[in-house]
Amino acid sequence: MSLFLQSLLDGLIAGSIYALFAVGLTLIYGTLHFINFAHGELIMAGAYFAYLFMMPPLHLSPFISGGCAIVGVVCLALLMDRSVFSPLRNANSLLLLIASLGISLFFQNLAQVIWGAEIRTFPFPLERGISLGPVVITPVQAWILIIAAGAIFLLYLFLKFTRAGKAIRSVSDNPRLAKTFGVETERVIRFVWIVAASLAAVGGVLYAADTNLEPHMGTINLVRAFAAVLLGGVGNVWGALIGGIVIGLSENLGVLILPIGYKDAIAFCVIILLLLFRPEGILGVRWGVR
Amino acid sequence: MTNYLLHILIVCEIIIPFALGLQLEIGETGLYNFGHVAFFGISAYASALLTTHGIPFMGALFASLALAGLFAWGVGYPILRLRGDYFGLAMLGFAEIMRKIFLNESWLTRGPMGIPGIPRPSFFGVPIHTLPRFAIFYGLFVIAAAFAVYHVTRSPLGRVFHAIRDDEYSASAVGKDTFRFRRTSLLMGTLLAALGGVFWAHYITFISPSDFTLNETILALLIVVIGGRWGMAGTILATFFVIGFQEGLRFLPLPESFGRLIAPMQQMFFGLVLVLIVLKREKSWFHKGDRLAQG
Amino acid sequence: MKKIIVFVAIVVSAVLFLAQAGMSSGTIKIGAVQPLSGNLAVYGQGFKMAIDLAVDEINANGGIKGKKLEVIYEDGKGTAKDSVAAVRKLIDVDKVPVILGPAASTNFLAVAPICERAHVVLIGAESASPAITKAGDYIFRVFPSDKLQGKGVADLVIKLGYKKVPVLYINNDWGKGLKDEFVKNFTKKGGKILSEIPYDQGKTDYRAQLLKIKQLHPKAAVALVYVKDGAVIFKQAYELGIQTQWITGSAAKSGKLIKLAGKAVEGLIGTYPNFSTTSPQYKHFVALWKKKYGDKKIGIFAEYNYDMVHLVAKAIAKGGTTPDGIRKALYEVSKGYKGVTGDKTFDANGDVGSAYGVWMVKDGKIVTRK
Repeated sequence: MSLFLQSLLDGLIAGSIYALFAVGLTLIYGTLHFINFAHGELIMAGAYFAYLFMMPPLHLSPFISGGCAIVGVVCLALLMDRSVFSPLRNANSLLLLIASLGISLFFQNLAQVIWGAEIRTFPFPLERGISLGPVVITPVQAWILIIAAGAIFLLYLFLKFTRAGKAIRSVSDNPRLAKTFGVETERVIRFVWIVAASLAAVGGVLYAADTNLEPHMGTINLVRAFAAVLLGGVGNVWGALIGGIVIGLSENLGVLILPIGYKDAIAFCVIILLLLFRPEGILGVRWGVR
Repeated sequence: MTNYLLHILIVCEIIIPFALGLQLEIGETGLYNFGHVAFFGISAYASALLTTHGIPFMGALFASLALAGLFAWGVGYPILRLRGDYFGLAMLGFAEIMRKIFLNESWLTRGPMGIPGIPRPSFFGVPIHTLPRFAIFYGLFVIAAAFAVYHVTRSPLGRVFHAIRDDEYSASAVGKDTFRFRRTSLLMGTLLAALGGVFWAHYITFISPSDFTLNETILALLIVVIGGRWGMAGTILATFFVIGFQEGLRFLPLPESFGRLIAPMQQMFFGLVLVLIVLKREKSWFHKGDRLAQG
Repeated sequence: MKKIIVFVAIVVSAVLFLAQAGMSSGTIKIGAVQPLSGNLAVYGQGFKMAIDLAVDEINANGGIKGKKLEVIYEDGKGTAKDSVAAVRKLIDVDKVPVILGPAASTNFLAVAPICERAHVVLIGAESASPAITKAGDYIFRVFPSDKLQGKGVADLVIKLGYKKVPVLYINNDWGKGLKDEFVKNFTKKGGKILSEIPYDQGKTDYRAQLLKIKQLHPKAAVALVYVKDGAVIFKQAYELGIQTQWITGSAAKSGKLIKLAGKAVEGLIGTYPNFSTTSPQYKHFVALWKKKYGDKKIGIFAEYNYDMVHLVAKAIAKGGTTPDGIRKALYEVSKGYKGVTGDKTFDANGDVGSAYGVWMVKDGKIVTRK
């Protein structure tokens, strides 16, 4: 029983991080209509930027480092868009997919050139987890839950109550219609990149805090995010959030039944099953926020 | 030195069928198969396991091709119903699941330890154990495969493939069962990939799950993207170009501390090339009006 | 006439002399595949330093019959695939008669069939898998097989008074080989294995495996790990509040482990192949190391690498530069050879014997334990 509860908690923590990845990916898919393979590298970049600021010589506090990482990743995302995706605005989605695959390959290996292939860890002090009845939670994990929930709440406020947020939703709903109503599409796209990159950065830092860093960490997280996007229905922000949590839970509960080695295959299985049986997603309504 | 050039030639002869298979799927039929490496891996494992258990090479070769084809048939049945990027992603998922199986079913595949000591091929009693023999033996197969691909692309079947690539809806409107043709294309591409996989296993004599990652699919994709525009000849030339570049890097007299950077920098370069080609060919490439479309 | 004879004699002897000089200025090239980058790079640099140390010593003492010994390094990146490619290059392009084999049993076993078939001697200084014993006639190692260490770990666990343990092991040739030997010996002595849990190298998260161990509430647990994944595992075990006596083998015995995992590895106990640290050979080695590398810590298995190079040099001196000559000579020169790491006599399979000691982490330092 305690194993089940512990897995449930771990699944929830992992899931809340995946949710942040998935929202960004679904926003990009909703507005630009392609699967951004390089989203995984935004996640990876977030983690490594934070690492860079936390380690000597800078030695900044984790929170300041995280903030710097967000700024860095947003710049990176805007650079990607300006140099590659923007010239391809009207291209076939497969071409965009290949281009993003190329970008992903580029940055993954750039990180390996700079930081090497080995695993790295944030310089947090080693602490025993806190026992809450049958389960154990480390202080870092508690922070992860708080920060992830905070990020989601901020996102909600942004989409619901700001002009930019509303514009994003209308463009994602129907770009042509939004244009005729005077929504400036390019501006909205820039907002989408900023939001998606910030969430990827926050999620990347949290993920690295929970586990460790390595240059290829983006790919598997992209897959998890994509599975979550499909679960929620493409373009559906709240669907992606719930999808992320479902993926986190199914990975951590899945290994209670499956051999541990198949943990990383669970998200792939979800993708294939969904594509085959419910390509429109499980969570029904497009665009939860109306 | 001659030996090393021969080595590069042989690696090219392994990759050519693999890349030609992807070209048939992407370039001719528009199937963006991001899980191409799965079939390369399945046949490599099948052949390695069969031959290490005493089955002669030629028998193992055909059994492995058949097995890979069977997988393509089975997987294609559900996944081919998906279009475009969804098809690509589902195949990518399939390839990763296959890799996990190679990795975890240690009783069969020895897991991450891989299979060492795969025997060298022999062709009706003639052992293929020296580099020149490998080059000739594999070369004959590659020529046969290229010949077959050439004929398919010029045949009525090839024209249907092009029609599907250019506009699936009109192809089905004129009465073509597009699903069946797409499956034929996937099957042909798979057999070519499987041929490469068997070659790989018996030349390198060691395989492990880390040989069959997305990176290998990307390598083939890169080759197709560079050369695919000029059809089969382009793909073959692009293979020599890419593999020559990749293997040749070992020979640069670089300082040792720089050595660990070679592999990632080469991958960075590949990524950059993919992006640049897509940017450059945005208008004409793999769309209607491509030279091949009229062929 | 006399003048002509003298002239011819001078020319001939000059030519001979020059030829001789040319030959002695030539070098004997041998190959080495080590993980200079990648997951095992922590070890690889240390191996290289030890190999260079021995090579410098040999060359400073006049080389091998006047020729200098030169090692061509190739990076195996710690993976089987890259080790195979590197060995191929050494055999095909550089045509070396001997290759100092790649670290990690999986990589070593992957390249062994190639060397065996090409009739090139492969010799390893850190690969312990029992499977290597039967890898072939051209395959040697100066490191003891895990057949011995598996028994050592089982004896240690019994001696510490634990009867039931789970065993966590790295899923590769080394981990599996050691695990199998451990399980065999442990159950023979009346112990009970609670669970066998494999893990894959190079992952960032091992909590799923650790939760299974936590569930068992064992008094002690055996973890057959390397340094880097060991650090991640022991840290995550500490965070999860697993309170158990961890017992390990030799591969994690490194100051780097303590640097990475800190107090999470305090109290960790392990076995390691033991050799005398008071022998004149060892003192000579330490002095040499100090002279060349100053205060840099002696790397893990450095002593084995050092012995390996000396054995190879002796074999080349005796058997010539052909692989077959070296192979035969290796058996002869190793007979009764006392190296830094003890007696290096090869048995018919190219294996050596060894004694085992016990190490533990105490107050953040590795200490030997009786």
